[in-house]
Amino acid sequence: MANYVMVLDYKNCINCKACEIACKEENGVLLGADKHRIWVGSNNPKGEWPKLDIASAAFLPSQCQQCENAPCQDVCPTNATYYDKNGVVQVDSDKCILCSYCMVACPYDARYVDDRTTTVDKCTFCSDTRLARGEVTTACQNTCPTKVRTFGDIDDPDSEVSELLRTREHFSLKSNLGTKPKLFYLT
Amino acid sequence: METVAKKSSTIKEFIRSIPINKIGVKDLLNFEKSPLNIFLAALTLVFLGLFVIGVLFYLLHGHHAYNVTREHPWGLLIAVYIFFVVSSTGLCIVGSLGDVFGFKDYMAISKRAIFGSIVTIVAGFAVIAFEIGHPITMMIYNVLTPGLTSAIWWMGTLYGLYLTFMIIEFVFLLKNDMKSAKTFGLIGLLVGLAAHSNLGGVFGFLNARTISNGVFYPTYFILTAFITGVFIAFIMMGFRYKLSFPKEIQTMLSGLAKIQALLISILIFFVTWKFLTDVYGGMPNRAEVAEHILGSWTFWTEVILAMLIPLTIILASKASAYKAIFFASLSGMVGIFFMRYNLVHDTQLKPLQEMKIREYQLPPEWIHYFPSATEIMISLGGLGLCLALYYVGTKLFSLDTEH
Repeated sequence: MANYVMVLDYKNCINCKACEIACKEENGVLLGADKHRIWVGSNNPKGEWPKLDIASAAFLPSQCQQCENAPCQDVCPTNATYYDKNGVVQVDSDKCILCSYCMVACPYDARYVDDRTTTVDKCTFCSDTRLARGEVTTACQNTCPTKVRTFGDIDDPDSEVSELLRTREHFSLKSNLGTKPKLFYLT
Repeated sequence: METVAKKSSTIKEFIRSIPINKIGVKDLLNFEKSPLNIFLAALTLVFLGLFVIGVLFYLLHGHHAYNVTREHPWGLLIAVYIFFVVSSTGLCIVGSLGDVFGFKDYMAISKRAIFGSIVTIVAGFAVIAFEIGHPITMMIYNVLTPGLTSAIWWMGTLYGLYLTFMIIEFVFLLKNDMKSAKTFGLIGLLVGLAAHSNLGGVFGFLNARTISNGVFYPTYFILTAFITGVFIAFIMMGFRYKLSFPKEIQTMLSGLAKIQALLISILIFFVTWKFLTDVYGGMPNRAEVAEHILGSWTFWTEVILAMLIPLTIILASKASAYKAIFFASLSGMVGIFFMRYNLVHDTQLKPLQEMKIREYQLPPEWIHYFPSATEIMISLGGLGLCLALYYVGTKLFSLDTEH
């Protein structure tokens, strides 16, 4: 049993979107712009040329934050959303009734409807694919050309993620909501 | 074995003793052929037809037949479901005034209101069955793996129980067994109020949606349910007595109108303070959403039709212009529909992912939604079902209280 987290050195992101493609390919996510488990967000740079505010146009890769205190799990009427043995938030498609409450409750807009099962789908840290095959990286991490993402077990003090979180300042998204996300952004 | 047979014969005897009129198709077609009645009958049939077409589209295309999206997963059908179950809870409250709380003036509507509460919740369930992706799975796993921290689980389960108690109460009312009706009516009312506040909790528990999060909706739902119940009571009585009300009904309507004026005043007070606290201080994600709502025509439609028009008419006539209040109640129900629609839509107005994720697009600002034809057809179908069931009920049962 592990306690998986992801650390993102997001300032390295070049918005190549290879992670989005790798995720779709690896996990068989359907085509279509609104069918995505992960995404890279960006803002248009503020200001007027030539004094553009470059910092305002930073890229922010995001996905399900694998919250330790997940609102989507709390609101699920049939316990279809659950924490697996590695602390990853998963959806049991046999139990999902598609009431969409989790989609409304998720603060990160990380859930969408998979048209094949007509149930809700989300990032699983590649639990059903790469991790199930014994690999130790996720597809998005593996493909990233600028090594934005690091994935690992935070309970292992010798893991790279533990080392990064010990030595680098970091923040979580919408941490004021008490969701305790397991995605950490390095500053 | 003998005891089982005895029990089953007692149950059969009990069911047989429920006063139900034997009717056929002829009886259903036997109504006064006034232009209004013919229009209403035709409208009901059209709505039922639309329901069938809408359901067919849904069965063929699933949620793709609806305009719901990843960012706006709850659409018109959720609003219409809320509209019906609020109506049901409201009618249960109005019905309880007489048979549970013993206010004699309101006994005249108890049976009709309790029957109305059954009909409206059945219509609500019929609509939500085509919004929930897997209703059968829901019934199985609601029992096998209940999500006890989910307001939807509590709301659904309690509403199921509520419907059962309402049916039992109605049966005892038909049998004129007022003692048992009172007992089951009280249990039904309490379960209904719990269910209904849980429905408010479905929105109130949304920590990420600051416009809805908090204690407001669970309490507001109960208040607006009572208001809705009184509107429907006026509409039911208006049709029953063709707007020329006998003396004892006038006494009841006058009382209901006074209650309604108080309730609407409280509602206006609540809503005013909600928006003042929402806007005050310019809190991110809350103030701008509230300002956006205040600038929308749907919000003002709700305010004018459900609050200002009925309150003005009741106050101006000192709760005695029953005909005008009947029409104000029709306006009120349209306003209440907008109230439900606004509540669902406004909760989802603000995108939770505010960066642009595709090239050649602007960052999302507000989530747009307009119901699809299928959603509108199923919603109108729910209304048609409600009207049809109510009409059949008026033929099957004697809904007037004997004096």
